Amino acid sequence: MKAHHLIFFLATFVSVQVFAQFGPENGVKPSTPQFVLIQHATIMVKPGQTLQDADLLMQNGKIVQVGKNLKQDGAVLIDYTGKVLVPSFIDLYSSVGLDPVTFKNNGWRPQLESNKEGAYYWNEAVHPELAAAAAYKSIEHNSDQLQQSGFGFALTHHMDGIVRGSAAFVALGQTEVDKQLIAPKAAQVFSFAKGASHQTYPSSQMGSIALLRQALYDLDYYIKNKAVLPYSVSLSEWETQRNLPIVFKTDDKLEILRAQKIANEFKTNFLYVGSGNEYAIANDLKGFKIVLPLVFPEAYEVNDPYLAREIPLSELKHWELAPSNAVLLKKEGLDIALTSFGLKHSDQFWTALRKVIARGLSAADAMAALTTVPANWMGLSAQVGTLESGKWASFSVFSADPFAYEAQLLETWSLGEARYWKAANTVQLLGTYSLRIAEDNYELVVTGTTEKPQGKVILRTASDTLSTKATIQLKQQDVSIQFLSLTSSNPQLIQLHAKALKNGLVLEGDGTDAKGAWFHWSAIQQQTTAPTALIALKPDTIAYGQVWFPNMAFGTTQKATQQTILFKNATTWTNEKEGIIKGADVLVVDGKIKQVSRQQIAAPSGARVIDATGLHLTSGIIDEHSHIAISKGVNEGGQSISAEVSIGDVVNSDDIDIYRQLAGGVTAAQLLHGSANPIGGQSALIKLKWGVNPDQMLIANAPKFIKCALGENVKQANWGDFNTVRFPQTRMGVEQVFYDGFYRAKAYQKEWDAFKAGKTKVAPRVDLELEVLSEILRSKCFITCHSYIQSEINMLMHVADSMGFRINTFTHILEGYKVADKMQKHGVAGSTFSDWWAYKFEVNDAIPYNAALMTEQGVLVCINSDDAEMGRRLNQEAAKTVKYGGLSEEQAWKLVTLNPAKTLHLDDQMGSIKAGKAADLVLWTANPLSIEARVSLTMVDGVVYYEEKQQELKQAQIEQERTRILSLMLAANERGEASKTPQKKVKKHFHCDTLGEEATETENSH
Amino acid sequence: MKATLFFFLLLSCCTFGQRILLMHGTAHIGNGTVVQSAAIGVVNDRIAFVKNSLTQTFAKEDWDTIIDCNGQHFYPGLVSANNTLGLTEIDAVRATRDFNDVGDWNPHVRSQIAFNVESKVVETVRTNGVLLVQATPRGGWISGSSAVMKLSGWNWEDATVLADDGIHLNWPSDRTAYQAQKRAIYSFFELAKAYAFAREAQPNDLRLEAMRACFRGQKRVYIHAESIQQIIDVIDFAAAFQLPFAVIVGGHDAHLVGAKLRDSKIPVMLSRTHSLPQREDEITYLPYQMPALLQQQGIAFCIQNDGDMQPMNTRNLPFQAGTTMAYGLSEEEALLAISLSVCQIMGIDKDYGTLEAGKKATFFVSKGPALDMRSNQLTTILVDGKFVSTSNFQEQLYLKYRQKYKDEAKSE
Repeated sequence: MKAHHLIFFLATFVSVQVFAQFGPENGVKPSTPQFVLIQHATIMVKPGQTLQDADLLMQNGKIVQVGKNLKQDGAVLIDYTGKVLVPSFIDLYSSVGLDPVTFKNNGWRPQLESNKEGAYYWNEAVHPELAAAAAYKSIEHNSDQLQQSGFGFALTHHMDGIVRGSAAFVALGQTEVDKQLIAPKAAQVFSFAKGASHQTYPSSQMGSIALLRQALYDLDYYIKNKAVLPYSVSLSEWETQRNLPIVFKTDDKLEILRAQKIANEFKTNFLYVGSGNEYAIANDLKGFKIVLPLVFPEAYEVNDPYLAREIPLSELKHWELAPSNAVLLKKEGLDIALTSFGLKHSDQFWTALRKVIARGLSAADAMAALTTVPANWMGLSAQVGTLESGKWASFSVFSADPFAYEAQLLETWSLGEARYWKAANTVQLLGTYSLRIAEDNYELVVTGTTEKPQGKVILRTASDTLSTKATIQLKQQDVSIQFLSLTSSNPQLIQLHAKALKNGLVLEGDGTDAKGAWFHWSAIQQQTTAPTALIALKPDTIAYGQVWFPNMAFGTTQKATQQTILFKNATTWTNEKEGIIKGADVLVVDGKIKQVSRQQIAAPSGARVIDATGLHLTSGIIDEHSHIAISKGVNEGGQSISAEVSIGDVVNSDDIDIYRQLAGGVTAAQLLHGSANPIGGQSALIKLKWGVNPDQMLIANAPKFIKCALGENVKQANWGDFNTVRFPQTRMGVEQVFYDGFYRAKAYQKEWDAFKAGKTKVAPRVDLELEVLSEILRSKCFITCHSYIQSEINMLMHVADSMGFRINTFTHILEGYKVADKMQKHGVAGSTFSDWWAYKFEVNDAIPYNAALMTEQGVLVCINSDDAEMGRRLNQEAAKTVKYGGLSEEQAWKLVTLNPAKTLHLDDQMGSIKAGKAADLVLWTANPLSIEARVSLTMVDGVVYYEEKQQELKQAQIEQERTRILSLMLAANERGEASKTPQKKVKKHFHCDTLGEEATETENSH
Repeated sequence: MKATLFFFLLLSCCTFGQRILLMHGTAHIGNGTVVQSAAIGVVNDRIAFVKNSLTQTFAKEDWDTIIDCNGQHFYPGLVSANNTLGLTEIDAVRATRDFNDVGDWNPHVRSQIAFNVESKVVETVRTNGVLLVQATPRGGWISGSSAVMKLSGWNWEDATVLADDGIHLNWPSDRTAYQAQKRAIYSFFELAKAYAFAREAQPNDLRLEAMRACFRGQKRVYIHAESIQQIIDVIDFAAAFQLPFAVIVGGHDAHLVGAKLRDSKIPVMLSRTHSLPQREDEITYLPYQMPALLQQQGIAFCIQNDGDMQPMNTRNLPFQAGTTMAYGLSEEEALLAISLSVCQIMGIDKDYGTLEAGKKATFFVSKGPALDMRSNQLTTILVDGKFVSTSNFQEQLYLKYRQKYKDEAKSE
């Protein structure tokens, strides 16, 4: 819509009376009307209330009255017969009027500290001092797209960083800068995205979470102690924003759940800006306020079946259901608003909004999502959102109800100031004209719509009827017509221009013929065609698919539930003193093992009975070291100590590797932070549950664990020659990082103890990092330490001994066999690989006999995976200890079940088959240590998540679902909707040494 | 364990012109058949016979060495195709990485001469039964020429089974540049073919010389390809250039174009079974099942070991094959996939791959089934008729520290 050349301003309408004018006037005082009265309009006052043939009286930019037959002496009268007034829309996620954020590159070395000069917060991603109002520029046209979409207000802010600063609520299209900032500090905006900052910290989503929490604690501390603390520009400014609504931008549905935990911790509420996939967890979002985007994924080109195979079902399903996001959330009772963020053109906005309405969002809900809901959320309902008296006279004028018809936006009014975008065509050209040019009598047939007429020119001669297409353009009264002459054998261009008179009954004007000579012409309408009715929006009648849990391959339409199950006659590996029982019955009720018996157990009514004759039943595999199911970063490598971060904050329940591990008999895992720094982050202890949200995967009441690391990774030995800045770069330095951290933690604890005992009056600063280190010292948090060579293993045990605590676990621990006696004495468990080595220098002396030798010396030993692939056949890895070092089969089996349960302090609830423990069970087709063993069934807490015999059926369902959606996509391709070429996507994984938020395809180097 | 060691020390001094008899073992011939209570006779570097030891009598004096393998299992030496073993020592240490050189078209770069037969990794691989490797370069469109090597020898010359057995071509996969990249490969092969069949001598060109044998049948063309589109294009490519021996390496989608592959007679070196499905939507156990799916469709295939940490992981090749036993292959079929089938594809089956008379005496004895982790315990290894240690430095470290703890326990 190239509307801007149509724009002109009714400067005379501008009212300045309520505003003090500070500047001098160049010329005489502007002439302004007291009152403007709009008459005979259809007024959509608010969602659900529309007045026909109504009037709207405004004064000084505000609505005085809305009703029928209004009168006002001296008012400028505007007749809006046939036009529809809609309150201006409100966009809560915008950066309109602000310069785009540029990325500063400060060199190739890692930047550990802030490069900002001045009394600002230490981290560049936290800049509450950045005020949108101060930087807001009212540049003509910068809000055209928003206005053409119907938006008259926007909440604008600097779209950068984690704590982004204050956002301003601005009126768009208003020419007087003084008036634009309706609410200069209307909200504050947060996100988990670091943005333009080049500082190394945070480098992961869990780091962003920790940083935001720490900053909020710092703000609180600053406010309470500002009298004695140095002045901080950032925190002082932030303090002024404390009571403003907080808008939180998210990039995935799970980020909403993550942010909400922070809101709960600080007893506040966030207003979320969603990413578009919230429908998939709608049930978990009840009561949330979410601004939804109208950007939907593009279709893929799917005409090549080989290429179409590369599109995962997860993407197909999201493509299908993304436009239903709003209606699916509305069905769950959520309040929703809509934003045009991410759209490139107002046409895209209307196409998307109409799609949403077609998917079933009611017109009233759609209107509310753009007007009353955002107004309410901003606390500005008294000023904006509806066309009621006392509110701003900000509205859009449409050719028809835009929520019901393909209406055109004609004008927008902002605080009583009008902007014209498009004039409605009132001339009615549709019909047949007799057209005389020179000697020839033509027939001109005009079809199409009033807005977009199409023409055909017919010449009837005695012998023949000739016809050709004519291009017609209508701009109010001006008609231009072009066609190729029909008389000449060599067609020549004929161009006509006319004024349409008598509402199109007569056309009269001039034209140029083939030779360029001007001539006069006229046409008279012989026959009138009634204009076609407005195009009404049609509800979408396609039966769309269901959300799956999770919304991807191997998801289920219903969440899986607990069953009462009786295993009959199974060879049962109890891991208890009974050992392996041949032919036991095991009963599972309410997610727990109810009974294990050598005698037959009678099946309770309704129980599923599984004949396990010839099969082996074991407790589920527990992977002590895993990096699957993690969102946006496994390492917070930005600093040497990052104890404040937690994998528990970023569990990703949509990872296909969860299902794959279940298929390998894994029922629980410790998701560990990586090994990029000496003191990493806290673990997530999870159960492998499929189709539940991340918090439901976390093991209830699990003890706290933290990852530490030693050796090549923490000294950045294999990270390239530019990574030589961060301390430590040697094993010597690593020791000192630990001492420094623990000494600081001791001092911190002492300060708090004194405060709690009433010896000091002022509460010390909350330091999330030292909190955790202090928990380690008090054995409230347990260390799992990545380690390879004996010197460093020995060192860390000495550090712990001198501080009076115990290292819980050494993981990898490939030279554990050299110091197994010392480990046994210290009481540390060893969680190792079965046979890996040769991948880096520090594993030169790794031997596959390690597990056996440590076991012989009385160390509690586990075999772990640290790898999504190996994680699903840990039974085979355990079996290798029979070959290397000659462990018994029962001993070997415990390495991946009972021993990790003990190591993780979870053996009271899992790790063996015993009445009262969780029903985390695996049924195997053979001895689980045998190369021929397959998983027949895996259950977690009594819920069957994997069953081998259903896999072919599931595969068929996946194919069926794919085909169904691909045919919809093909139809979209044929309609000419935007599309992109599929590319094969290699599943990426997080490894111990993966840095940043993106998983990689690189080899696992542990 | 100790007995074996002793045995090895005893024998290692007398390996020339020797006659060795191994008795009373279950011989997994490697062609699908099993001979119970077998006796294997080795004369010099070759197998003289494999017979049922119960129905034969052997004169003690005919043999330099007689080993009673009562109840143990005989297997042909396992063969690991498409592997960087011997070309790298420690993955993360750049100084030890000798498998990927600069350039897109490197057929002239030869792995044979960089192969380190004394690699510490090699001895840990051998002790699980893998006795031959196809040392293979990586990178570029054409990575270089691989070589089939024994995992025992004094130097690379000594260890060579087949020098420059084939070139390795990485088929393009990027959809946006696919046609252009494919065209570049065709152009290179057109150039190479013209050179190969030129009647008059051409100016010497290292690259094209290295390609010559590919068109004349002395050298294989190993084409690394995974998706359907790649595979069917490779089939067309091999036909267009009338390549006498084309091999597909990887072949993730091979089961979906079975008939076409079978008709093309192009064999597949399948990716390691211990891998994740490549697509989210694929059935979780597809990689375990692939060998059976290809076998059912009559496609010639073997299993190789390319992937993470491949040199050290080579020792798990028997278990990669063993895993297929749970997904449709019999034990002997699984063995075939890492012995005879590999040798047939690489063209060394005349000498290697089975326990048959006339073949090189490259085989091993295991206490139990060698494709299961628990029972893969080697008591004897022969490479071309020579005894090779069944111990390695890792076992030595194990014994050393075990002894330390024993000694300390005693002294307490």
